[in-house]
Amino acid sequence: MDFSAIPIKKPFDARHILLDYFYTIIISALIALFITIVGISKPFLPNLVMSLSFGVSICTLIILLFRLFNPQQVKTLPIVLIMATGVVGGMIIGSQAGPFILLHFFSIVIDARDGQYLKTIVMALVFGGTVSYFFYSRAQLKSVGEAAEKERFNRLASEKAVLEYSLKLLQAQIEPHFLFNTLSNILSLIDTEPTKGKSMLIDLIRYLRTSLSRTLPDATTLDQEMETIKAYLNIQKIRLGDRLIFTIDVPDTLTQYPLPPMLLQPLVENAVKHGIEPGIEGGEIRIIASEESKYLRIEVVDTGLGFSSFNASGVGIANVKERIKLIYNEKGRFFLEENKPHGVKAVIEVPKVDL
Amino acid sequence: MTCKAIIADDEKELRTYLRSLLLEVWPDLVICGEAANGKEALELVESEHPQIAFLDIKMPGLTGMDVAKHISGLCHIIFVTAYDRYAVEAFEQEAVDYLLKPVSKERLTQTVLRLRDRLESTSSPMPRLTEVIENLLSKLSVQSGRDYLRWIKTQYKDSIRLIPVEEIDYFKADDKYTLVMTKEGESLIRKSIKELVDKLDPGQFWQIHRGTIVNVARIDKMSRSITGRGILKLKERSELLTISRNYLHLFRQM
Repeated sequence: MDFSAIPIKKPFDARHILLDYFYTIIISALIALFITIVGISKPFLPNLVMSLSFGVSICTLIILLFRLFNPQQVKTLPIVLIMATGVVGGMIIGSQAGPFILLHFFSIVIDARDGQYLKTIVMALVFGGTVSYFFYSRAQLKSVGEAAEKERFNRLASEKAVLEYSLKLLQAQIEPHFLFNTLSNILSLIDTEPTKGKSMLIDLIRYLRTSLSRTLPDATTLDQEMETIKAYLNIQKIRLGDRLIFTIDVPDTLTQYPLPPMLLQPLVENAVKHGIEPGIEGGEIRIIASEESKYLRIEVVDTGLGFSSFNASGVGIANVKERIKLIYNEKGRFFLEENKPHGVKAVIEVPKVDL
Repeated sequence: MTCKAIIADDEKELRTYLRSLLLEVWPDLVICGEAANGKEALELVESEHPQIAFLDIKMPGLTGMDVAKHISGLCHIIFVTAYDRYAVEAFEQEAVDYLLKPVSKERLTQTVLRLRDRLESTSSPMPRLTEVIENLLSKLSVQSGRDYLRWIKTQYKDSIRLIPVEEIDYFKADDKYTLVMTKEGESLIRKSIKELVDKLDPGQFWQIHRGTIVNVARIDKMSRSITGRGILKLKERSELLTISRNYLHLFRQM
């Protein structure tokens, strides 16, 4: 699973132009059919040829004018001006080209004097109206869409940059207090209980390895995340003694589940730092992963001091929320609840993926 | 003369460590008790009357500073801290004895020498310590700044949820209570706009009307209506908010 990719659509210009011509030809044919059936002008072939020559001329002219002036914003005036010029110009060209084609390829003469002229005008007007309306709305839709797409991209790109930066900061935020206290503990254990001291050192190394690594993978597994968290909690367990009890409950079926790195860790560290450590009694931390019908749910529950002491934090929590929003869009959720009778429950829900 | 000392630290291992180091550096010293939190430390001082107290600063319940305030004059105090740039700076300015964790034998020897000197020359420990500590505390609390509201508690089904204030677009008065408007929806809290204003960071939230407080970061643009009233548009919200005359000055420079 790649969490870094931001999809953006690149409009393919030639395809747009081909599409414009395609629609023009369809509309032209329909108008010719309409004129023939209604009876403004009888034979279908000359109607079709005239219709196409108007349509294609107008279409070509409008495309050329748009290319030439390229109005950046969705402002009505420049677009209407281009349309009007295109329609009038296209009509003049079409009214010359149509009879010319009819005469040279089909040997049909259109006599402007026996009323055909009027019909040509009517046809041109119907055309001008239809085609310009069509182009106008398409141009407008297109530029609105492009603007929105561009905006979305810019927003995502900057959000991503900010988040990456703050993730780095978060990583660098290994508390000196925690680090020095842990080292003091190890120093003491080396004399009194060398085996315990050694395992604490190993846990510290494991914790630092993840927390200090410059480049984080886009995704780790739930299992890998839990390794770091376990290392962290083991250390805290030695430091805090009876004041900290913890359980990690991840079903075997979920251990290989992909998860963005450093998503759970801030929650666990928060629980210890603000829930357990400042309390004389301490408390329990439970990490529970479960599978619901549509999402994976991970809870970090503590029975510590609760929200009152929670005030001091924020950076880690805000980062978790932002990242979930960015990675999973509206499909991922993060929220904090009051745990009863006391403590905090942090919940992450991410959409399920096939393993 | 035998000297008595207590060690207060919430981490058992660190108490043991300090005790063993002290035994090496000052074999005659009697450690008459260990405390795992501030309250226990106070009780120990009262019951054992030690001449020396080693106090960890970060302890649950009462901090080392709090304990020191209560027992100043009763015994010599040495603060022990793992890391606190501000505290260490402050200690140096106030010439208070302190040890950094992990405690090194050399540094502890120095401290012990100084302590012995002081114990021999004068019998009463630093009389103006309370004053010094008040000074320290005021210095340290300035660093942390005032605590503004960072979370809003709201009822969600049968549980209580927390909304970080950064996520709030604006607050709107609703009778006696207040509606919290976020991108995800709205929820009612039992606090009035008036109560909220005092608790929110004024750099982050502006009151723009008797019944409205907006998150400054969420403001998109401000415009004037024909009648001269200020109208505020928030990012990704369609509704417009009215700025009353009294609060228009906030927008003068925008």
